[in-house]
Amino acid sequence: MNAKQLIEENNKKRKLLTKENEKYYDDLLVYIRLHFTLSEQQTEEVLMEMLDHLIDGQKEGKTAKDIFGDDPLSYTDEIIEQLPKEDKRNIFQFVGGVIVNIISWVLIIRGIILLVFSQFTEVNNEINLLGVSVVSLAIGIFVIGNIWYMLKVTKKSLFNEKISLKTNMLKVGLVAAVSMAIVLAVARFTPEIGPSFSFDWWLSLLLGAILWLLHFIVKKKSRNA
Amino acid sequence: MSTRSQLLKGILDGCVLAVIEKGPAYGYELSKKLQETGLNDVSEGTIYPVLLRLQKNGFIRGEMRPSDSGPNRKYYFLTDAGKQALQSIIEEWQQISSPVNELLKRRF
Repeated sequence: MNAKQLIEENNKKRKLLTKENEKYYDDLLVYIRLHFTLSEQQTEEVLMEMLDHLIDGQKEGKTAKDIFGDDPLSYTDEIIEQLPKEDKRNIFQFVGGVIVNIISWVLIIRGIILLVFSQFTEVNNEINLLGVSVVSLAIGIFVIGNIWYMLKVTKKSLFNEKISLKTNMLKVGLVAAVSMAIVLAVARFTPEIGPSFSFDWWLSLLLGAILWLLHFIVKKKSRNA
Repeated sequence: MSTRSQLLKGILDGCVLAVIEKGPAYGYELSKKLQETGLNDVSEGTIYPVLLRLQKNGFIRGEMRPSDSGPNRKYYFLTDAGKQALQSIIEEWQQISSPVNELLKRRF
């Protein structure tokens, strides 16, 4: 069974847990899955084993605490420490895929916007190299920084009944809003100096479509492999 | 953690290997067999970090198979490296256990 099938089966089987056991297991599952530098296959296999164990134990009247101990955080850390790392190639492939996907959509949307606006008004289809580089970098930092912060907040709130989901959502939203404002300010105030070149709507659309198609084909191939 | 379970933790790898040597087993079965031997101090979940470590070292390998009760379970088998590891654990245990017994038995 591959990781995807294991996840689907896990989703079905989790419904068999009592409310108390489900809470314990869910936190454990989310906490382990958040460490996505670990082998996905191995992660899902051990999660399934633990779920099966819990369901079997439940039938004998045992709780998750009886089985996995009353210190879930250090128990889970022990599991994480022993899980093998994901193949570097898979991580690069995944991150690369996400970046290519975003770039292709940016190009496609830019092409469409330029096309529509050029019907009514004169549009500037010049691209400034410095401006584009600085803004891309800012967006990259924005995305990585926000994901990192979200993971940090989530990890902290797992196994902890005192921290409510609402406060966390508020925190994450606030940080996202402030950093988005910084990105917009960077985009607005970066001076357009250095080389510029013209980049027509049809070229933008064409490049975007090609990139998207490439990404789609590679993704489909690796899924079937 | 009690002294007993701390002592047991150090030798748990060897115990798990010994159970698997007798025949392939999945997680729940394994913890049951350990408990039946009388090793019921360590919480059942403790075997999972152990199983992961033994897999990483190549001492055991897991295989999905249909179980007696129906659904697929991950059964563990001992590898050749695992047989050797178990052998050396047994030898080391024998070297430790008799002097330790000797030292501690006077206390009774």
